[in-house]
Amino acid sequence: MKTRAALVAAGAALMAYASIGLLVGHSAQPIGIAVFLLAVLVGHDLVWMPVALAAGLLIARCGMVARVAAVIAASIGVVALPLVLGHGQPADNPSVLPLHYGRNLLLILLVITAAAVVRKKFARPKRPRDE
Amino acid sequence: MVRNPRRALKSNAERKVPAEADRAMPSDAERTVPSDAGRAVGGDGDGGGERAMKGHATQAVARRVLERVNAPLPMPPSALRRGPLREGAFRSRLRSERLTSVLGVALGVAFGVCFVTGLLSHLIQHPPGWFWWPSRPVWLYRVTQGVHVATGLACVPLLGVKLWSVFPRLFAWPPIRSIAHAAERASVAALVAAALFQVVSGVLNIAHWYAPMPFFFTTGHYWVAWLAVGALLVHVGVQLPVVREALRRRKDRPPEPGRRALLTGVAAAAGLITLTTVGQTVRPLSGLGLLAPRRPGIGPQGLPVNKTAVAAGIAVDAGYRLVLTGPAGETSLGLAALNAMPQYTASLPIACVEGWSAGATWGGVRLRDLVTLAGGDPERATVLVESLQRTGRYRASTLPPEHVRDPLTLIALRIGGEVLHLDHGYPARLIAPNRPGVLQTKWVGRITVRMPR
Repeated sequence: MKTRAALVAAGAALMAYASIGLLVGHSAQPIGIAVFLLAVLVGHDLVWMPVALAAGLLIARCGMVARVAAVIAASIGVVALPLVLGHGQPADNPSVLPLHYGRNLLLILLVITAAAVVRKKFARPKRPRDE
Repeated sequence: MVRNPRRALKSNAERKVPAEADRAMPSDAERTVPSDAGRAVGGDGDGGGERAMKGHATQAVARRVLERVNAPLPMPPSALRRGPLREGAFRSRLRSERLTSVLGVALGVAFGVCFVTGLLSHLIQHPPGWFWWPSRPVWLYRVTQGVHVATGLACVPLLGVKLWSVFPRLFAWPPIRSIAHAAERASVAALVAAALFQVVSGVLNIAHWYAPMPFFFTTGHYWVAWLAVGALLVHVGVQLPVVREALRRRKDRPPEPGRRALLTGVAAAAGLITLTTVGQTVRPLSGLGLLAPRRPGIGPQGLPVNKTAVAAGIAVDAGYRLVLTGPAGETSLGLAALNAMPQYTASLPIACVEGWSAGATWGGVRLRDLVTLAGGDPERATVLVESLQRTGRYRASTLPPEHVRDPLTLIALRIGGEVLHLDHGYPARLIAPNRPGVLQTKWVGRITVRMPR
């Protein structure tokens, strides 16, 4: 019990420290940061999550392997998206984002799909209630 | 005075704590807050009896405050309970406290690793007086920052599935049970926002995509890290019993085959992300780095560049002189004079804060020789290295004595035997062991040797 109180108290203290730093720290940009905090929160909870849940419902009948493959593909997609869009590549610096990320992402997604198909085909026979 | 607090104590003791308030931890707060408050007030009292009395009074006040904070608030009209707020709106049987707990523990460890390695990188770049960072082993920063970025990227599936597993709780009914419950929900919102902020801004930063971020990345990522860790500690404190309970007792629990498959999937996703990105710093895996923002061999002279000479606004003319200032006064050295000094080579990595790194063999003059030339003692001197770059956050860096005296610290003129490419800092750049790339100043124009007083 004392551990929990100590954790909550220490956490609250760190949150207060962070708030002070965000508001009045060296070269603080509290508005920009607050906007981004709110944007990722709202973007995740009200845009991304409903879309992901709807997609999950659509493929629910395809079984667990397909759903797990979708989770893996979505995770890879999040990491790959800024690379594929390539907005960060400076015109004068070809060593930043030097690869064909669109093609590479496609390749990885194909590998995930192939692995899922193989996994499903050679899965051990399941008990009837599972499928 | 005496009776009132006693009555308050008694009535509070008789009162039954509402079961649902348990999550907001009334019991901890009840125990700690009154005793602390009592002690603080007691210190001011002038007599033992009075002190005790005041202590009781404060305790009573604290108890009343806690009672108020945990008192159930009126229920909102049930007509409002629609859509996702309905009971049973979320039907997936894959969700369980056990799944959430396993993911939460993994995520907690990952965030801890990111926080420690990130804080270390911050301290190396902005060292406070008490901080000390060695120049050896040469690969240490390469590893800590590589781990920072790799762990952050592996958080993508962990955080995604963790938030999915608790998503129905966003629509809990009633939305707010008490003031304490509201505070707890606010801290969870801060945690989710801060966690998403860190992962999203990190992913954008390694892709050099700054436009979506309305703030300077380094500052935002640093302060929100404190917010995330603070909110995480609060969250762990609140949820500790739930997690303990969920992770205990394996046998009498019905097996959840879906949970294992999902956790395997999360691990596979984290593994795949690592495998396809870590090649930006682990050379043997560079061929697998299909999603690595950098590839160690790609760039001028086989080495990636972060800031080009054009971006830094550098134009080097034939009359280049390196201005060297120290206890012996000011001298200036042309390229011929630098090349006439004893030349050394050092195999050192450029290790970027963005998590990529690449090794190279550098050739040039030892910084300690330049310190001696300037009349300083290379064992004790601190050196300020400034770039020809006029502006920019990283136009100058300071080397502590550990790095100044290290014989591997060079003012490099060559890379792999060739004259430095302009984008690598021609005519001269700093290269020192175990330092972030942003501190390896390029296009060095001025070196100032400072001796401790």
